[in-house]
Amino acid sequence: MAIARRAGPVDLAVPGRAEETRGAVRQHLRRWLPIGIGALMAAAMIVVAGAAPLIAPLSPSAQFADAVLKGPGAIERHALGTDEYGRDILSRIIWGARISLQVGLASVVFGFVLGVPLGIYAGYRGAWAEVAVMRATDMLMAFPTLLLALIIVTALGGSLINEILAIGIALTPNFVRLARSLTLSIREQDYIMAARAIGTGQLRVMVRHVFPNALYGLVVVATLYIATAIRTEAGLSFLGLGIPPPTPSWGNILSEGRQYIKCCPWITTFSGLAIMLAVLAFNLVGDALRDLLDPRLRGE
Amino acid sequence: MFQYVLRRLLVAVPMLLGAMSIVFFAMRILPGDPCIAMMGDQATTEALADCTKNLGLHRPLAVQYVDYLWRSVQFDFGTSLRHGYPVSEYVARMFPHTLVLVLASAVVAALVGVPIGILSALKRRSPLVDYPLRIFALLGLSMPVFWLGILLLIVFSLHLDIFPLIGGGDLDGVIAMIRSGEVFTYPGDFLAAVGDVLHHLALPAFALGFTLAATVSRLSRSAMLEVISQDYIRTARAKGQIERMVIYKHALRNMMVPLLTIIGIFIAIALTGTVLTETVFTRPGLGKMLVDAIGARDYPLAQGAITTFTMIIIVVNMVVDMLYAFVDPRITIR
Repeated sequence: MAIARRAGPVDLAVPGRAEETRGAVRQHLRRWLPIGIGALMAAAMIVVAGAAPLIAPLSPSAQFADAVLKGPGAIERHALGTDEYGRDILSRIIWGARISLQVGLASVVFGFVLGVPLGIYAGYRGAWAEVAVMRATDMLMAFPTLLLALIIVTALGGSLINEILAIGIALTPNFVRLARSLTLSIREQDYIMAARAIGTGQLRVMVRHVFPNALYGLVVVATLYIATAIRTEAGLSFLGLGIPPPTPSWGNILSEGRQYIKCCPWITTFSGLAIMLAVLAFNLVGDALRDLLDPRLRGE
Repeated sequence: MFQYVLRRLLVAVPMLLGAMSIVFFAMRILPGDPCIAMMGDQATTEALADCTKNLGLHRPLAVQYVDYLWRSVQFDFGTSLRHGYPVSEYVARMFPHTLVLVLASAVVAALVGVPIGILSALKRRSPLVDYPLRIFALLGLSMPVFWLGILLLIVFSLHLDIFPLIGGGDLDGVIAMIRSGEVFTYPGDFLAAVGDVLHHLALPAFALGFTLAATVSRLSRSAMLEVISQDYIRTARAKGQIERMVIYKHALRNMMVPLLTIIGIFIAIALTGTVLTETVFTRPGLGKMLVDAIGARDYPLAQGAITTFTMIIIVVNMVVDMLYAFVDPRITIR
């Protein structure tokens, strides 16, 4: 192909400099816009969650008897309205971001820390280690994330730590599978053979060579699982199995607001919107990162 | 082929056993005595002892475990503590409601998702077609089904009063009419009952179907992209076939093969979705039964519901794997 291109004077329509620049700009935009928007939204969420005590206009548990079930803007101090106890919805949503983000990040870290070493070990060692790990993974994979998290959280009881554990364990099989499949292809590379040839121990090969090379793919997928974790947390709280009230989480605000959808739809509307935007942010970043860094993972 | 089917069966059996073991032990590590949890602190010692005996909890754990496995494969999940009748009967009553919801949402998801995915792939990187459709898919993927359900209820049930707020219609009546043959003697009544069921089904099916459509559209897009990059498509184009024929005759038929594999994932996502959807729409079904059972600490019922869910997912995946091998014989060789 390259030879053919060099072979002779072919009359190709050479794009002008301006057109070339436009094309490059378009390509850049296509590549970076989704990741930019997603990253901005995710960063905003992190800032809101981190600075909740400073940004929230009111305490999330403060009850205002004069402002029960008031709509957005009906009373100046409650921009997004109030719930059945007269609590400020905006402040509760801002504080709820903390729970969502904590569960989202911590459960993914948990699943990553538990699943990746197992997956790398299974993929690298093969034989019985692989069979044992992968069969156990298949068993857990028979449960969809929410169902498995629901079983675990039912067994352990609803609290922040238990929710993180439940969602983390439910996500673990996904990390095991991905780490194993990445390891299977990395294992065949020349640099692994070279490392083994000079007598590097198995553990060292896995830690120093396999893991860093699998990291890109793993991080990309981890970003997508943050979105899954946030959605699962909201689902569990919505079902009444997550963080128990009065601690605000987006799912339990939405669940409590369900009884009042006729008179006061703002409670469910705004809390649901918060969940959707958070999930969208991490989906955007994960999708864009996947396309950008690792084209092999596009079909995952 | 026979060997492949046998191998898949052999893999599915330990998977099923393992999954059921997880359910069993998860229910057994619950903190506290289930009898106290169900009957409250005020229960007398005799009542508690009775309850423990009824549940079979006085026996050694290994005996309980083997007993649970043996009974489960016979679809005997014990007796519901709250309702007092066999869990399997309850599961059998709820199953059609969930099945109808999953099927209806699958129709919505296929009707919305597949065309969107195909269009998006064929107009790849078109700012007017591909990008908006991909954003639509991303929104669908990010929108929790319980939120979409509530929004639909607010608009279509509360404000416009077009669809009912709760319930699943008289599906039991429809099934009874089919069984007794009344469907032929009273066709008018039957149609009215079916209409009522569909009326109750419309919003939940749309909510669940829409969120599933996002997944379906993404998978169909990548399946279509994969197919149109194949050599036979290039050959079809090279021999001068018009583009529409290339798509209809060659691409569409072949993209359906990879789409088959997603049925397994689809059923798993849809079944999870029913837990949330049935709760939002206060619809009877396995999902709502599970949530209610957990809320009421009716452990046999919860255990039965989860075991049923898991069995369905494993069996569907196994059937899909086999189906896939029939469609693409190369699979059996691998």
